[in-house]
Amino acid sequence: MKETKYWKGLPGTEDQIANQTDNNEFGEITPELSGITESISTTANTGRRDFLKMLGFSVTAATIAASCKMPVKKSIPYVFKPEEIIPGMANYYSSAYVNGGDFVSVLVKTREGRPILAEGNKMSTITQGGMHAQAVASVLNLYSLGRFQKPMIDGKASTWKAVDTKVSTELAAISGAGGRIVILTGTIISPTTKKAIADFKTKYPTAEHIQYDAISYSGLLDANQKTFGLRAIPNYRFDAASLILSFGADFMGTWISPVEFAADYIKNRKVSPEVTTMSRHIQVESMTTLTGSNADKKIPVKPSDEVNAVINVYNAIATKAGQATVVNSGFSNKDLDAVAEELWAARGKSLVVSGSNNTDVQCLINGINNMLGNYGTTILWDRPSYQKQGDDKAVASLVANMGSVKAILMAECNPVYSLADGAKFGEALGKTLSIYFGERKNETADKSKVVAATNHYLENWGDAEPKAGIIATQQPTISRLFDTRSYQESLLVWAGINTPYDEYMRANWDSTIMPMQTKYNTSLLLWDNTIHDGEIICNAPVLTITPNFADMAACATSAKNSIASRGAIELKLYEKVGIGNGSNTDNPWLLELPDPLTKCTWENYLVTGVSDEKFFHNPDHKEFKIAQVTVGSKSFKLPVYCLPGVPAGMFAVAYGFGRTVSANKEFQYGVNVYNLLKENTLNVKVELTNEVAPLGCTQIHHLLTHKGLGGYKTRHIIKETTLDAYKKDQASENVIGEHSRKDWIKEELVTLYPGHTYPGHHWKMVIDLNSCIGCAACVVACTAENNVSVVGRDQVIRAREMHWLRIDKYYTGDQNNPQVTFQPMLCQHCDNAPCENVCPVAATNHSTEGINQMAYNRCIGTRYCANNCPYKVRRFNWYDYADADSFDKKYYTENFENIKELKGLDTIGMQEPLTRMLINPDVTVRSRGVIEKCSMCAQRVQAGKLEAKRAGEVLKDGAIRTACQNACPTNAIQFGDYNNKESVVAKLVDHDERIFGVIEEIHTLPNVLYMTKVRNKQKIDDFSFPENLLFS
Amino acid sequence: MSTYESPIREALIKGEDTNYSKITDDIVRNTEGTPPMAWMIAFALASATALFGVFCLFYTVWKGIGVWGLNKTVDWAWDITNFVWWIGIGHAGTLISAVLLLFRQKWRTGINRAAEAMTIFAVICAGLFPIFHMGRVWMAFFIFPYPNTRGPLWVNFNSPLLWDVFAISTYFTVSLLFWYSGLMPDFATIRDRAKTARRKMIYNILSFGWVGTAKQWQRFESLSLVLAGLSTPLVLSVHTIVSFDFATSVVPGWHTTIFPPYFVAGAIFSGFAMVQTLMLITRKIFNLQNYITTAHLESMNKVIVLTGSIVGVAYITELVIAWYSGYLYEQYAFYNRALGPYKWAYISMMTCNVISPQVFWFKKIRRSVFYSFLLSIFVNIGMWFERFVIIVTSLHRDFLPSSWNYFTPTWVDAGLYVGTIGIFFTLFLLFARTFPVIAIAEVKSIFSSSAETAKSKMSDPQDFSDVHSHSHDSGHGAHAAVHHDKNFNEQ
Repeated sequence: MKETKYWKGLPGTEDQIANQTDNNEFGEITPELSGITESISTTANTGRRDFLKMLGFSVTAATIAASCKMPVKKSIPYVFKPEEIIPGMANYYSSAYVNGGDFVSVLVKTREGRPILAEGNKMSTITQGGMHAQAVASVLNLYSLGRFQKPMIDGKASTWKAVDTKVSTELAAISGAGGRIVILTGTIISPTTKKAIADFKTKYPTAEHIQYDAISYSGLLDANQKTFGLRAIPNYRFDAASLILSFGADFMGTWISPVEFAADYIKNRKVSPEVTTMSRHIQVESMTTLTGSNADKKIPVKPSDEVNAVINVYNAIATKAGQATVVNSGFSNKDLDAVAEELWAARGKSLVVSGSNNTDVQCLINGINNMLGNYGTTILWDRPSYQKQGDDKAVASLVANMGSVKAILMAECNPVYSLADGAKFGEALGKTLSIYFGERKNETADKSKVVAATNHYLENWGDAEPKAGIIATQQPTISRLFDTRSYQESLLVWAGINTPYDEYMRANWDSTIMPMQTKYNTSLLLWDNTIHDGEIICNAPVLTITPNFADMAACATSAKNSIASRGAIELKLYEKVGIGNGSNTDNPWLLELPDPLTKCTWENYLVTGVSDEKFFHNPDHKEFKIAQVTVGSKSFKLPVYCLPGVPAGMFAVAYGFGRTVSANKEFQYGVNVYNLLKENTLNVKVELTNEVAPLGCTQIHHLLTHKGLGGYKTRHIIKETTLDAYKKDQASENVIGEHSRKDWIKEELVTLYPGHTYPGHHWKMVIDLNSCIGCAACVVACTAENNVSVVGRDQVIRAREMHWLRIDKYYTGDQNNPQVTFQPMLCQHCDNAPCENVCPVAATNHSTEGINQMAYNRCIGTRYCANNCPYKVRRFNWYDYADADSFDKKYYTENFENIKELKGLDTIGMQEPLTRMLINPDVTVRSRGVIEKCSMCAQRVQAGKLEAKRAGEVLKDGAIRTACQNACPTNAIQFGDYNNKESVVAKLVDHDERIFGVIEEIHTLPNVLYMTKVRNKQKIDDFSFPENLLFS
Repeated sequence: MSTYESPIREALIKGEDTNYSKITDDIVRNTEGTPPMAWMIAFALASATALFGVFCLFYTVWKGIGVWGLNKTVDWAWDITNFVWWIGIGHAGTLISAVLLLFRQKWRTGINRAAEAMTIFAVICAGLFPIFHMGRVWMAFFIFPYPNTRGPLWVNFNSPLLWDVFAISTYFTVSLLFWYSGLMPDFATIRDRAKTARRKMIYNILSFGWVGTAKQWQRFESLSLVLAGLSTPLVLSVHTIVSFDFATSVVPGWHTTIFPPYFVAGAIFSGFAMVQTLMLITRKIFNLQNYITTAHLESMNKVIVLTGSIVGVAYITELVIAWYSGYLYEQYAFYNRALGPYKWAYISMMTCNVISPQVFWFKKIRRSVFYSFLLSIFVNIGMWFERFVIIVTSLHRDFLPSSWNYFTPTWVDAGLYVGTIGIFFTLFLLFARTFPVIAIAEVKSIFSSSAETAKSKMSDPQDFSDVHSHSHDSGHGAHAAVHHDKNFNEQ
């Protein structure tokens, strides 16, 4: 149809007016508006104003360019950029944390060539992607100020040439004269190292290799020698057991291979609507352990009674099995009898372990497992563990005959510190050719004549065989920071083999590992793939096992005799999770890591139960009474810490403290108790002194005597139920006030105010309290990932630790044998966050993805947010902990060197340029005076989103993992997008009946949710629901 | 103002021989000549303390807030306690000058000048804390909504701390204006008595060239009324907003709707106590018993016992509501407040604030200088503890028992507090030495009706009619005052 033009006045008149008005309104159409190409390049119609603008701009630009001094940038670009290094992008390399026999397969994150984080290697069949605190913290050791930067002779810096000449000539002379040469090492699980030692021995035939574990497993090894003819540790399958009985073995905290065991253990403990079975775990122990705290049932006994309990259980099982019983222990415990019943019922799928280092006790344990038919089901000999190989007898004989040793080479151990008579041993080192292969300053290096500075494992090539036929690799992730050399290489040099260690290792792999495996056809494939994966599974070795349970009666008698000298008060020496045997007691991350059980940091203390009030500390002032402990001829003083669950009549002290030589005096708190190893710790004297001392505890016990006056039954912090109740009702105990949580959300969770909208992602985290064992690996991982400051003992005592993620610990029930629940507590990223609305400058605010975010450079530090946070997860930089202040620290230190008060805070070397190489460049380092807190690894979320964007894909669930999630050995933490209804997190949040939020009733709408803890309780366990939440 | 007053009503200006000239003399004398020894000792002490306070401030900024005793659980303690305490003290000044002016309370004239000065100095001391409690005080300007180049970055108007900024700055400004405008005629009086040229010049500048014309007086009166009108709502709003710092939070023990009236009553309570303390010292040092009489003390003590009782009721109400709420956290907060590790603070608060002022029901004690002074100190202590109890006991044990903690102050905490007291007294002593501590013009305005001499004349009918008619025709009291003032100045 033809278009007709209608008009209502004189044609064109109005149009013209309108056009004119438009033009006037917008004035001259500038090139910016009309499109620069048209107006300038095509018509070249430069107006007067444009000309002036351009003139102005060019004159100003020229002036600025000509007159301003360009800042001098000191960064040096790569001349040849390595192909794989893209600035700003992280590279990951597999490696293995090996410390003595302690093994964790890791994935090392490097940024611009610097390793900055160790995460679990998901491809490892042993540690299965889990981590423990020490493995995470090991990266910090690389940049430790305690590291030897050069080889040393007689305490003076030297050169490798001088060391090689001196050592080679002296060794040749000693060997020539038939003098005894000893290589004393921790447990060596590296096949190539063993070969290097063998080559060294070939060159020096008088050399012998002795392996020494500071915390000895000799008893277990000897027992296996005795009962199976094989001095090794079997392959424990905690995932295959339906009933686990542990006599003091902290198998998820410190015992043999805690990461592996924790990962296995939890496989059989996770419940879901589909799987409603879980293993049952009973722990008989004296000192409360991390493992014991996770047990469904804990039977506290005194240290000597741990032995009696084993005899009791042996007899009970033997009776049922129709076998000969052994000597009567004379110890009776009703609970233990019931345990024997349970064990017998679960025979063939139970697992009994003991943490004892007594051969006889371990023989009895083997006997119990044998009678129960556990060998072949839960305890396998297919791939025995090599993680502990130390031999107490050999070490004892060495120490006794140090006079005859002409040369001693020491690696991966610190005998001067960790031997019972270390001081004497140290003296002996001065009288012989003592060579210490050391990475960081310690007592033994201090006493040794030659210190052959070794590489950190992240600078090193290496391999490890933690379990027979499963070989892991180490590869350097950074070139050597200092003039150091791996000890294997030193041994080779001194043995006259001048092959670099990596080539030597490669050759060894070609000759020995290659034939052991069938996966790869060529050695190149084997090498490249194994280095990439971090692990190769070779054929299982063929082992001859000769079971022999003949003299159990003698073992029992002998075991009983071992405790004959016990007195009224016993002392237990134990390992702290995170500190272990003390080899890492110069690592500030580990020192500041609150112990999962006591929540204390930086030092050791005397632990006792809560039965005797005279030892109680003042919970508010952190003043702990100091006691004097006399053990045989030795005596020491320590503050007393009362830990619920420790039986009466005993005390416990942790190994690993009281170091005397390390980079910083701050690392040397506490008392070294290794010197008590030869004393009778079963009969000690403990007397309170009048002194008190503070302890850096991050969580103090409080009796929650007030339970509310007819209000809510309890604080809705943790929720727990029993397996039976869960089977009946999956929402069991998941209540808020009078309502079930589901009803409560429907009926009570109402608001007048509009909430946030989340158009894109909505991040949520779910933490399964049933899976969390409280090992605190996540705490260290968070510290490492997020540049969380170490504040030092004094600041922790003043309750100023900076951890973004902490593990809260709650007890219920009987004070003398409480149930423990661990709860990782981090910023809950509330959708209705109390912190956000009180910040006067909006420094903390809500992202469109549900993350409560902090703008550090906007924060002025009023701390109102921290006060208003119901979860108390916000941390304030009271001092310039990270040396990130607007004020230069140099100014403080240089001008006020002598005035302690005006000097900057001593932060234990964490502010030094070397240590700061560890800083994660993706995370802002916070200055003094600002609040910080968990960001839900915002940098990882961002990286994950960008990666997906770059790949042109929709972000996959699980592509973004937080640092804590990655470190968790038990997969307790899930993180994901709630808006993606297919994500694990969304499914859990929407459908799992165990989901709850902490103190939801105050309507914070947390994005971090928890899942009810389920305990596999039987009636006799006297379970109490947490309305009786007694103390925290 | 000098309307008819019953002769049996107690005189507010004592002294057998008091007259207009003597009033000027008695008050202005203190700014002239050498200061009394007592003043010098007090000033030396106060300024030394103030210097220590300044050092503590410097030290805090130099090292970080870590020099205080705060920790991860208790993020505010003495800082905000001191802030609220000082702000509360600052309340009395405005109340006396504005509210009592509007209510035509004559007795306020003897004390209003000093009370207003006290307000100014107390607000200065109070203001130090919110500023210096910031972790990054050098970024303090972020709290102002100023135009900036940071795009949409703006202050958070939801935050009570921001409301504080406006409330306190407004309050300070209005109080300062009120105080200063009242000072102008008195400065002129000092100027007119001045013997040296320099002194004359300084006071002339300070008086803004006041000459006392009728027009000036008329404007002066209007301004006073306008400022009184402006200040009156501020008396209520400032402390209400300060209480919002707590009331709008989620912390059990803070999250209470009773806070605004309770804080205002508490503020008046503590402010009057502080005025009482200061007046008793001032009248002693400067020999002003004729102008700050026991009648004044009694009036103030009446206010103290009233507000103290209101505060007491508030305390008990809180406990009852906690019980009635059925809300565990609230219940625990109050249980812990009264019986927890800080029970000593709670007991101090209860004793000083609720129990001790009750003795003021006895007239004898109300009129006793000694007891007034003693109890004013008690109330000051008690009100400090009230804020401490509210802030620290609520924070130290809130929702998650895992984070419970204890707060112990450091020497810097104490130093800052004592230091602000030093700053306060330094300023006050300087004020008392250089400014007329009693509003000369205002006191004169009630002379004809409330002075002892005037009253004694009232008993004589002739004299009475004389005085009465004299003041009656002066449409407004201050006119009469200036009239006399001018006369006496000329004498």
